[in-house]
Amino acid sequence: MTESVDDLRAELERREHELARREAQLERYAADLREVFQQERQRSEELHKSYTATVRALANAVEARDAYTGKHAERVAAYGLAIARAAGIDIAGSPEIEFGFLLHDVGKVAIPDAILFKTAPLTDAEYALVQRHPVVGAEILRDVHFLGAAKVVVRHHHERFDGTGYPDGLSGDDIPLAARVFSVADALDALTTERPYRPACGFRAAREEIRQATGTQFCPSAVAAFEDIDDDRFEAIREEVG
Amino acid sequence: MTRSVLVIDDDPLIRRLIAATLQDVGGFAVHEAEDGEAGLAAAAELTPAVVLVDFEMPGISGVETCRRLRAAGSTATVVMLTGSADSDTEVQARAAGVDRFLTKPFSPLEVLRLVDRVGRQ
Repeated sequence: MTESVDDLRAELERREHELARREAQLERYAADLREVFQQERQRSEELHKSYTATVRALANAVEARDAYTGKHAERVAAYGLAIARAAGIDIAGSPEIEFGFLLHDVGKVAIPDAILFKTAPLTDAEYALVQRHPVVGAEILRDVHFLGAAKVVVRHHHERFDGTGYPDGLSGDDIPLAARVFSVADALDALTTERPYRPACGFRAAREEIRQATGTQFCPSAVAAFEDIDDDRFEAIREEVG
Repeated sequence: MTRSVLVIDDDPLIRRLIAATLQDVGGFAVHEAEDGEAGLAAAAELTPAVVLVDFEMPGISGVETCRRLRAAGSTATVVMLTGSADSDTEVQARAAGVDRFLTKPFSPLEVLRLVDRVGRQ
């Protein structure tokens, strides 16, 4: 009797030992999985940073020609992201939207200086050339796969809600939301930045102008998202970009 | 070219872990055996490139299994799975023809690196 109890005890101990070993083995596997996951996350963050740096460099190169807009792309991207968030766009889920904001005018490389910097009114032919820049931009970026939805912003950032914009004359919800959001941000920066032909206006006046153009130039829901953000916030974003 | 990996261990969990880890990696097909006898029979049939063998098994021990494997002319890379790395065990195992050691608990990356290295030789 005593012997069999001892046997049972020994057997129990053996099994417990066995179980502990198996647990340790599985924990080791789990630890590796965590490590691999962390490395992967870190690499993807690094990759995203290097994409962003590349995109910024390209956006800056485009802007370098156009001295007076100074950092327009970065400001517009920052305004655009704030409005996009307020509009419920999942930025973390589609980070390439920011790239589209930064690169919106990349197609301007195809516009000769003589036209881009012309102060006199443009001829019809010249204006037609200017209007091609979203198409040229989308073409330039066509094969850059990581830009995804960014290309849509580039192509459609001059569409108007009422369908009178270019290049495709899209109207209403046919214009991708990111592009509708962007055009509000673009207008906000254009109005609040000094241009050779007019002085800058304040955020409050700019807001009023944007309101006036709701439903014609701008999408009402993009404007509603814009209205959720106050002037101080935009002012702070402008300061941040520098 | 698919080369085979043979895992000889009495614990089905260890065999499954190794098999699942190596599945579809680097053109290796993984086979399992639950003891030394079955392992030797499988080795004779498959001529595996890598044999992972447990040190402590019921029946023929891991070291003895390796010795018989070498006696039968196997040129496989033999990896011994050990619970602890003690030097007596190591000397004994090396003498029997063991090439490498994998200490339990092992990580999947260790298994992958080991087999990958062998695969490139």
